[in-house]
Amino acid sequence: MALKALDIYKLLPKKNCKECGDPTCLTFAMKLASGKGDLEKCPYLDPGAKNILGASTRPPIQLVKIGVGERRFAVGEEFVLFRHEKTFYHPPGIMFEVSDLWSGKEIEAVTRRVGSEHYVRVGTDLTFSGVAIRNESGDPDQFAEAVGVVEATGTHVPEVLMAHDPAVQEAGLKKCGNFRPLIYSATIDSYKPLCALAKKFGSPLVVSAKDLLSLGELTKLCNAEGINDLLLDLSFPSLREYIPAATEVRQKSILRSAPELGYPVFLDTTRYPMQDAALILGIDKYAGVIVTRALSPASSVAALTLRQNIYTDPQKPIQMNPGIYPVGNPGKESPVLLTVNFSLTYFTVQGYLESSRVPCYMFIVDTEGLSVLTAVAAGKLNEALVRDSIKKFDLEHLVSHRRLIIPGYASPLSGKIEEETGWKVLVGPRDAAEIGDYLAKEWKS
Amino acid sequence: MSENSPDSSGKIGYVVLGATKAEGGTRTVSFRLGGESDLPFIGMNTGQGSIPLVAFEICDDPEYWSPIVTSYTGDLSNDAREWAGVAEKQYGADIIRLYLTSTKRRGFDNFSSITTVMEEVLSGTGLPLVVEGSNEPAIDSDVFQRCGEAGEGERLLLGTAEAGRYRSVAAAALAYHHSVLAQSPIDINLAKQLNILLREIGVKADHIMIDPYTGTLGYGFEYSYSVMERIRSAALKGDTDLAMPMITSATDSLSVKEVREADPAALEDIAVEWEFYAALSSAIAGSSVVCVRHPKTVPLLKSAFRELWAGKMPGEA
Repeated sequence: MALKALDIYKLLPKKNCKECGDPTCLTFAMKLASGKGDLEKCPYLDPGAKNILGASTRPPIQLVKIGVGERRFAVGEEFVLFRHEKTFYHPPGIMFEVSDLWSGKEIEAVTRRVGSEHYVRVGTDLTFSGVAIRNESGDPDQFAEAVGVVEATGTHVPEVLMAHDPAVQEAGLKKCGNFRPLIYSATIDSYKPLCALAKKFGSPLVVSAKDLLSLGELTKLCNAEGINDLLLDLSFPSLREYIPAATEVRQKSILRSAPELGYPVFLDTTRYPMQDAALILGIDKYAGVIVTRALSPASSVAALTLRQNIYTDPQKPIQMNPGIYPVGNPGKESPVLLTVNFSLTYFTVQGYLESSRVPCYMFIVDTEGLSVLTAVAAGKLNEALVRDSIKKFDLEHLVSHRRLIIPGYASPLSGKIEEETGWKVLVGPRDAAEIGDYLAKEWKS
Repeated sequence: MSENSPDSSGKIGYVVLGATKAEGGTRTVSFRLGGESDLPFIGMNTGQGSIPLVAFEICDDPEYWSPIVTSYTGDLSNDAREWAGVAEKQYGADIIRLYLTSTKRRGFDNFSSITTVMEEVLSGTGLPLVVEGSNEPAIDSDVFQRCGEAGEGERLLLGTAEAGRYRSVAAAALAYHHSVLAQSPIDINLAKQLNILLREIGVKADHIMIDPYTGTLGYGFEYSYSVMERIRSAALKGDTDLAMPMITSATDSLSVKEVREADPAALEDIAVEWEFYAALSSAIAGSSVVCVRHPKTVPLLKSAFRELWAGKMPGEA
């Protein structure tokens, strides 16, 4: 269980040396108690106290960093079971598998794909996270060679070294150990040598065992070897076990009722008949690092979009800059459609307008990211805003007509907008999907 | 337990879809949905709850349907009876969801055609039906009356009831003993309010399914996903006004830009994945019935549910 600030204080050196950046040991203790402090900042802590404090003062789920440089990413440090309770902070790394039985060309192709493939959605660049190099040959030299091929691409993408034999693992680490690859994986039989390697190279380590109880035992053993950057392998034989296990890990760790399970989750989807289903489970339910075979183009876009959706902060709607956005090549007689600056509304309406093939202007007013329905209900979308926005964006010089199409859900405002602006208001459909039909039938320039 | 873990006081209520001969209908199968007392895909092996089901969506006027589907099905989509049969036998759907898109035509008043279509689809498949009536409030009453009457005894799910527009569909459901699909715009409070309104005019809780409205992947799916999780959590904490099974359909999946404008060679795959990712995630968030439009999405979802489900299968005691 979590320790109180005073219990922590008793274990600190009480020198008030300020070297941790805090004015006193007590304030440092308070920080630790709230999960925000870093134990490593205290230079005078004795090893016994460190062991006791280690598990109870860090965030409920350890933050683990993988890779170095621009493409490095961090997982863990999550605080809730459901995204609506706050938000999820660290999206899972999706790592494409390569094998040391493959030709250099094949390994290189997958690595280069991870290095360069990206999709832009809602103004954000979406990419895959890294490469997982699997030892299937059993041969240390061949594994090292495969790691070398990945390194030689110069893509600097984070790596997972998938080799159970410590000798093979070490051969790989000699090639890329400076770049903080994730080591997969330590079992009860191999944890000692693998912890030693993790320590030597400063790498995070995945632990594997048959169930959660054994995983918890194993993380404690690894802690005793001085390794705290761990991930829990939840790739159990049946995919059925994943959601119950991942949920239990998340529940117990955020409650701090099982600090030995307070680590990010690792999921190897390649072992299941339906890789896409496993990937979806991992994205929706708490995975930190997911290994997959290189995805098809169709699965790629869907997976990255789902990950973006689940890890969008529900407290902050993504907003567009208010203003005039042309669709097609509109002219002085083209229709003007008003909507709000909630990005989702913008992109949805824009998509349907583009497919309607009617050149027009989107007139985006600032509702602070609220949707049409909520902006009308909250009074954020009102006649004064429309009047001011027409002036601000100089709509009167942009078009020669004086007709404004407003969203169907804003129909209660139509009279007031007409009075306030002198523009004729046309009430558009409630559903953006019907805009094409609406323009075809109702808009005559 | 903390507020993060739903306590076990609540349970999702039951709704029965379809009626077999023994139950007074003509369906070859009926489903009892609901009964879960834990989060989705957890506690399955305690005998509670049912495996999520896959509904295939068809329509009676394919002019209003995605060309991605109609180009795949060809002439089949011009014949709702045949289409329903193929959806059952070839695609492997559990439920057929019929949209009466013919009512979208301007000035539609051929109400006897609705009875005909209903009879055709009922004869074309033995599966339980969800029926989507009109899109035009002025003709709701006539349309739902015909749907309800034609399906009497079959325990249909009739949709869509919304706040401000639920009386006609509820009246038809009450008169002919069907259930009501209650849709609210991605808002847990509005979902609850609509269920209360429906109950006040006599629709029983075990005749309501919640449709929280599903924005498709990339277009608000995260809001729908979270509303589903909130509804499920509220139900498990004992809120009986939200303890109905959910039905969801990311109906815009085939019309968003990513799918519509995909490279023709990859278009079908993208359409299927776009539906699959949203539908499986909806089930993970708590949906009991997920609806799709591309025939190839059906077997994918069925296999995924079989792989994930450790509990009883429909029909098992």
